[in-house]
Amino acid sequence: MAETTPDQEAPLLEVRDVAVHFGGVKAVDGISMKLWPGRIYGVLGPNGSGKSTLLGAMTRLTPMTRGAFVFEGQDYTKKHARTIQHMGIARTFQTVRLLEDRTVRDNILLGTDSLGRETRKEAAARVDEVMERLGIQEVERMRPDELSYGMQRRVEFARAIISRPRLLLLDEPTAGMNTSEREEISAIMRQLLEEGVTQFIVEHDVQMMVDTCDYLYAMNFGKLIAEGTPTDVVRDPAVQEAYLGKGAGKHA
Amino acid sequence: MSTWYAMNVVLVQTTLTTLLLALSIQVPLRFGVFSFAGVGAFGIGGYGSAIAMVHLGWSTWPAVAFGAVVAGLVVFLLGLVVQRLTGLYMGMATIAFTLIVSVLAVNGGDLTGGAMGLYGALGEISVLQILLVVLLVVALLHLTELGGMGRRVDAVRDDPELANALGVDVVRYRQFSFLVSGLIGGLAGAITTLLRSTITPAEVNFHLVILALTAIVVGGSRSWVGALIGAVIFVWLPTWIGFLAEWERVAYGVIVAVAAIYLPLGVLGVAKDLWHRFRTREERARVAALAKES
Amino acid sequence: MQDVLNATTLGSIYLLFALGMALVWGTIGILNFAHGATFMFAAFIGHLVTARVELPLLGVIAVAVLVGALISVLTQLLAFQPILKRAKNRHAAELRILIAGIGVAAIPLAIAQRQTRSTPFGLRSSYSPQVYEVFGLRITTTAIIIIVLGLVIGIGMTLWLRRSRHGLALRALGVDAETSAGMGVNRTTLAFGTMAVAGGLAGLAGALLTLQLGAIAPETGDQLIIKAFAIIVLGGLGSMAGTVIGAYVLAGAETLVLVMNWGTWVDAVSFGLIFLILLARPQGLLGRKEVRRT
Repeated sequence: MAETTPDQEAPLLEVRDVAVHFGGVKAVDGISMKLWPGRIYGVLGPNGSGKSTLLGAMTRLTPMTRGAFVFEGQDYTKKHARTIQHMGIARTFQTVRLLEDRTVRDNILLGTDSLGRETRKEAAARVDEVMERLGIQEVERMRPDELSYGMQRRVEFARAIISRPRLLLLDEPTAGMNTSEREEISAIMRQLLEEGVTQFIVEHDVQMMVDTCDYLYAMNFGKLIAEGTPTDVVRDPAVQEAYLGKGAGKHA
Repeated sequence: MSTWYAMNVVLVQTTLTTLLLALSIQVPLRFGVFSFAGVGAFGIGGYGSAIAMVHLGWSTWPAVAFGAVVAGLVVFLLGLVVQRLTGLYMGMATIAFTLIVSVLAVNGGDLTGGAMGLYGALGEISVLQILLVVLLVVALLHLTELGGMGRRVDAVRDDPELANALGVDVVRYRQFSFLVSGLIGGLAGAITTLLRSTITPAEVNFHLVILALTAIVVGGSRSWVGALIGAVIFVWLPTWIGFLAEWERVAYGVIVAVAAIYLPLGVLGVAKDLWHRFRTREERARVAALAKES
Repeated sequence: MQDVLNATTLGSIYLLFALGMALVWGTIGILNFAHGATFMFAAFIGHLVTARVELPLLGVIAVAVLVGALISVLTQLLAFQPILKRAKNRHAAELRILIAGIGVAAIPLAIAQRQTRSTPFGLRSSYSPQVYEVFGLRITTTAIIIIVLGLVIGIGMTLWLRRSRHGLALRALGVDAETSAGMGVNRTTLAFGTMAVAGGLAGLAGALLTLQLGAIAPETGDQLIIKAFAIIVLGGLGSMAGTVIGAYVLAGAETLVLVMNWGTWVDAVSFGLIFLILLARPQGLLGRKEVRRT
């Protein structure tokens, strides 16, 4: 695979030959990546290509068969999932996972509850700012099931960024949103980047990925089939065949 | 007031001990652990305190503390053993544990008094003292329902994987819930036993599980307030409605089933829902209007 | 040898009881805690009927089977079905069904306890059991009926689930409810059918055990629930063959404890088994490993 070597000396996150096998199913099969700080990375791939599983392994929620993850020079492969957030990695989930009986505000605060006291205080003060940025300050006292799906996704997003992660993992952040909502989220992501939050997005909406990402990976059957600038990856014949040929129209 | 109190002192006592028993089941439920071990702890606490008084000659409160601590430790160890189990399997394993406590009591020889039980463990416990113990327990539990701690506990129950991803040590929290459940159940058993001066193996039975469960299911499983509501309803309803007293157990069966079907979060859950809807009526109207526009 | 025969009779009773529970739990995923009450109440109604009219053996059994099936279907209709409709997810539904089952079970138990003042009751029948002696072994016609029915129904059910179209549909439901719904399996109809069969089996077991022992106490059903759970867990959830084996293993172990004269420990066998199996081999002897989906 071609190395990507920007100016920085060490990658933020290094993925070394990671594999996740469920019985005979090779959901992720030997993936290696280097994520450098200050960029938005994206993984394209059809449903079932293993991209969400990769995210699960990255956050150590999914047990892996082999490989290693190194974040800021620290190998955290054997660490428990609960330590990931403390290291500075936050994530959202493919399906909305909010506490049903809690208000929007409480759900966002949950993203900071396990951090140190200082961080927590600071974050509590930031809640209003985060809610405003995502346009959910109006509904802060409502419960998730009273909100539209797009709104629920914003709450998830807010919960992830309130902990001020250095790496933000986003699992289909704009699923179920309309075009203008997608553009909003995309703009927020660029804005976060300015603030120094490196991002890693898993998505199958090609347009969104091309618009938002600096660097793209394409996955199919658990393997990387292409990587490079978004335009290059989208034009890659292997990607065209595996992904665009079949499902491009569906999600556009 | 004083005549009322003199007439109802036993009911007040029962309300308080029932509340403790209900809390011992409710605590693990709040952490997403379907454990009935609190009822076993009730037995251990009862026997522990009675043994301390009858065989060791301890005085009342050291005996109560002994029973509660032993129960807490045993249930904590049980928690370490069964922590891999989920849902129904956890429920049945802890019911089995509770019934094993009763079998052990039958076979405990002189120590437990066999099938006849232990007699002569009459403690000196005033209602005020019980009230203080209950207040202490409730105050500590209340802390676990507030702020960040409350949110983390909710996350551990509703979505443990999410809780892990957000940095909450789910395993530690659940182990802690076993310890607390054991301590509170032990307290309930010890106080109940020393009030009555006797405990028999037959008391640590399935009916006790139903009693505790009824209180929580009816009152509400997410807060100590629910357990209190449940305990009050459970203890006082039969005295208010004569018909219920006669068909008490049938009524409880019906109430538990109906609550499980229609009010999964109990009376308290309904009240909270109504309050929430009232509080957010304006926001909800606005959101509904927005949804219509788009 | 006599002990082996006794164990076989006991095992066959356990089997008839546990089969219904295993069928319902393994296929439609409902752990019916009211199964024991169904068993007991079917025998109790039989008792009330035969107190007025003398019935032949088949008549007694028919009454018990019908009553059992009726109670079971009513439980499904009034309690479990509404919960399945309302619950947001499978896990929440499981716990609410267990709690509702506990509530439902309390109703017939309380009624029977009230009517009988908690004393054992029997069945009157024109049938009188004969005692045969073969090679020095004493066996009653009732025991023979129990053993034959237990084995025939146990093995028959195993084969039926494996071979027939309905059996296949049911097993598909047990493995993956969504896929089977896509295959055109009508979940509601199958659920009622399964509950009816299970209730009928509970009634059959109730009548036969009462005939065998002469009388049973209202609480008998509660004890059997825990034993049946031990049997199902031992055999492995979803495996009928496992249930058959589990029933005889438990009966054998209990008989052994009795023969060794440790009578008061008999109940500890099933409680202990639940514990050991859940910890050492949670999928049971013949159970499939649970398929985890991410």
